[in-house]
Amino acid sequence: MTPRPPTLREKRRYVLARIDPHGTAPDPKELYYAVHEAVTSLWGDAAGALIHGAVIAVEGEYAIVRCRRGTERELTIALSTVISCGGRRVALRTVAASGTIESLRERIAALQEPAPVPGVPAECTIDGMTYPVCWCAGQKIDVIEKGFKNTTRFFLTREDLED
Amino acid sequence: MKITDSCVYPRPTGDSSVKRMALEAHELGFDSLVAVNTPPCEHFGVTVETGVVIGEVPAQEVSREVKHGRERGAVVSVLAGDNGRNRMVLGIRGVHVLCGIHSTDRHAFDHVTSKMAADNGVAIDISLAPVIHGRGVHRQKALDRYHDILLLHRRFEFPLVISSHARSVLDMRSVREFSGLASVIGLDIPDVEQALSTMGMIRSG
Repeated sequence: MTPRPPTLREKRRYVLARIDPHGTAPDPKELYYAVHEAVTSLWGDAAGALIHGAVIAVEGEYAIVRCRRGTERELTIALSTVISCGGRRVALRTVAASGTIESLRERIAALQEPAPVPGVPAECTIDGMTYPVCWCAGQKIDVIEKGFKNTTRFFLTREDLED
Repeated sequence: MKITDSCVYPRPTGDSSVKRMALEAHELGFDSLVAVNTPPCEHFGVTVETGVVIGEVPAQEVSREVKHGRERGAVVSVLAGDNGRNRMVLGIRGVHVLCGIHSTDRHAFDHVTSKMAADNGVAIDISLAPVIHGRGVHRQKALDRYHDILLLHRRFEFPLVISSHARSVLDMRSVREFSGLASVIGLDIPDVEQALSTMGMIRSG
């Protein structure tokens, strides 16, 4: 089968989204289903088919989501309604949209994470309770409360630990 | 013009500290936040104002709690109920926002309450939480109520505010996402800009 000439191919756009919280690293297939569910529940099957959204890649903290050209806005609105993936709470923050995956990969490389700050304790005490620190970058610190059945993540700042 | 998220719930109600929420709000493009049961402060260039949300309490208690909230200098929001309750709430001096309209029945907010809200300068809260978190019939009902509110807003011109009702930084959304989600309701960009800056005008007025 000969490939279709470029002029006859449908035009696509790619949206780069950051996956919050840090360290979630969702399974690409689960993220695909989460995005698909968000698009379908917000816009319906007919518009969902027009958007033709799909998670192309998950690279570290970022996901690249495909859509048909002209439907980026609908896709990004739907991405903002993604609240969980694989049973874990997530938020997808749209960073950029582009016509090529390559340019988004360059963008990912350019988006440097804040350098780890020295002097962050392995655990901290808040209101008499001790929590292990699970992530820290810049001012942001995430801590974990370990319960009997599951764990809860708290979102704090360095200033909260100093108080 | 201050861009304000009109209602967030930091710790202990939510899982994020008020400072972290302010930091996140700064990154998401907001200038100020109304944080429930939090003392007023400023973090990372974001002004945090105290908010009070008065739930389903008897009429006499609503007046008392509104007075108490006003004395604290808080943004006073009262949860909407049936039509009679909403008329009563809109008549109380010191109420800034009527919230939770999306979960009331269709007759709870009509042309009479709309006129009262416009006359008394009480803002109606458009919470994006049911649009973000809701699915199926729950979200459809909320969107339907918001369409109705918008119809009355265009006729009576009462103030609108938009809020995320975030209990976590993961529930917070950027100004652009607010605009996108509000477009699902039928609010265009000038409407969203006005709604996001309404809280500043209510506080200064």
